[in-house]
Amino acid sequence: MSLFAFLGTLEIGLIYGLVALGVYLTFRILDFPDLTVDGSFPMGGAVAATAIVAGINPWLATILATFAGSCCGLITAFLAVRCGILHLLASILTMIAAFSINIRIMGRPNMALLGEPTIFTPFENLGLDQLHVHLGIVFLLVFFLSVFIIRLLSSDFGLGLRATGVNDRMVAAQGGNIGFYTYFGLALSNGLVGFAGALFAQSNSFADVTSGVGTIVVGLAAVILGQTLLSSPKIWVSVVAVIVGSILYRLAVAFALSTGMFGMQASDLNFITAVLVAIALVIPKMKAKIRLKSVRN
Amino acid sequence: MIHLENIRITFNAGTILENKALRNVSLTVPEGQFLTIIGSNGAGKSTLLSAVSGETPITEGLVRIDDVEVSRWPVHKRAKLAARVFQNPLAGTCATLSIEENMALAYKRGKSRGWHLALSADRRKFFQDRIAILGLGLENRLGDSIGLLSGGQRQAVSLVMATLSDSHLLLLDEHTAALDPRMAAFILELTNTVVKEFELTVMMVTHSMKDALACGDRTIMLHQGKIIFDVAGEERDKLDVPHLLKMFSRVRDEELADDSLLLG
Repeated sequence: MSLFAFLGTLEIGLIYGLVALGVYLTFRILDFPDLTVDGSFPMGGAVAATAIVAGINPWLATILATFAGSCCGLITAFLAVRCGILHLLASILTMIAAFSINIRIMGRPNMALLGEPTIFTPFENLGLDQLHVHLGIVFLLVFFLSVFIIRLLSSDFGLGLRATGVNDRMVAAQGGNIGFYTYFGLALSNGLVGFAGALFAQSNSFADVTSGVGTIVVGLAAVILGQTLLSSPKIWVSVVAVIVGSILYRLAVAFALSTGMFGMQASDLNFITAVLVAIALVIPKMKAKIRLKSVRN
Repeated sequence: MIHLENIRITFNAGTILENKALRNVSLTVPEGQFLTIIGSNGAGKSTLLSAVSGETPITEGLVRIDDVEVSRWPVHKRAKLAARVFQNPLAGTCATLSIEENMALAYKRGKSRGWHLALSADRRKFFQDRIAILGLGLENRLGDSIGLLSGGQRQAVSLVMATLSDSHLLLLDEHTAALDPRMAAFILELTNTVVKEFELTVMMVTHSMKDALACGDRTIMLHQGKIIFDVAGEERDKLDVPHLLKMFSRVRDEELADDSLLLG
């Protein structure tokens, strides 16, 4: 793999690290399997692209995209908490509805951002290399957002959020409002995903309504891969693990696709993902078996 | 003070499965009283407790806690006024969080939870002091996941957690029923200690007539959703389990099929 391809992969890995962080918040922290991300990721891209083309400041456009993602999360939470629809089904409903909404937002299925200003433009104009600028800014954004999430989960409020996914009866008995935690968690998660969608669109200079397909699987792959390699009850380790998992996932996929030796092509991506997730799920069980064997001997 | 007025709770109303769990129950537990509640299975003991905590919505009647009408309040809002310990030791604590994190959750019971770090040095010190009264050595293991503790230990921590926030009401739902006899005795003793130290008003549901008479200062018995007797003071001091059983069968107007069920 060339250095150019490596840095590009790193950047995508970091952007999808935010998706993974969102998936971690719903799947792991809230125990709410949320497929909304398949809709909120392209919505982030669609909103950012449409806003930028309409002449809005790229940073403001990115914030709008984050807000749009959060709204998707709130709708799923509303369907689940208020209407009592099964969480998985509620998120699927939002996801498919978002597909139509995304086309309405852009007015067409995809949109190019070539020649438009992005959050990266001011730094590129300083004469810096495009790839380095992208990587640097994305890294800083992911870093600050990760610190924010770690701090949030270590607070009194975050503790309530974390307990909600494990023992909601206890949280209610301690005065925590389960419904509110669910709304907040889903809004935060999908806000992160919408933000990632906006970054992805600006980095790649296009927004596409189909770019959301499989977002949940990629996010889940990163969470499972990361937490298999770095497992700890400490929150900061989990957050770092999720980001690292996302980068490793991208590297593994890029490696499998770039080397000719496996005879892989781009369309094999889903297959590789499935194999990676399966392996990551099996490793902890294998580890436990090996440990048991060594104890017995 | 807890005040219940004409409480009716009917499950599956209007269907073939209709079950009147509580039929017109009125009860006042004054400040500082330790009330024990007994009754056979399905008598409505736990339903009575969850009418106070809000877990079961009441069909009719009024619930007042400390002179505030809370009949329509959700569980999390009522948590501000009353602490609870469940029958299942796993239900009262959060397995994946550490002991100190569980305590931090309870420390904020009924208060707004904000951006403040859940575990500051001050709080750790406070938690250490509080958990030391158990004498289980847990003060040196605050960072351990609470899932590593036994059911009895978790129940002991739950009791301490119930005293961390400043409400003075404690609802105990057969909190020793799932433990072995030795641990159950320890938890009961701990309950008495905690109740005295923090001057709590208590409603304790139990299956054991012996415990019901040994603890607290007033006992009520429920049968088929009604309070069938209510004893306190001298009259109660004179009671023993056989007496209680006799009273029970007189009220029921039939012999008990299985005394061992209640004698325990």
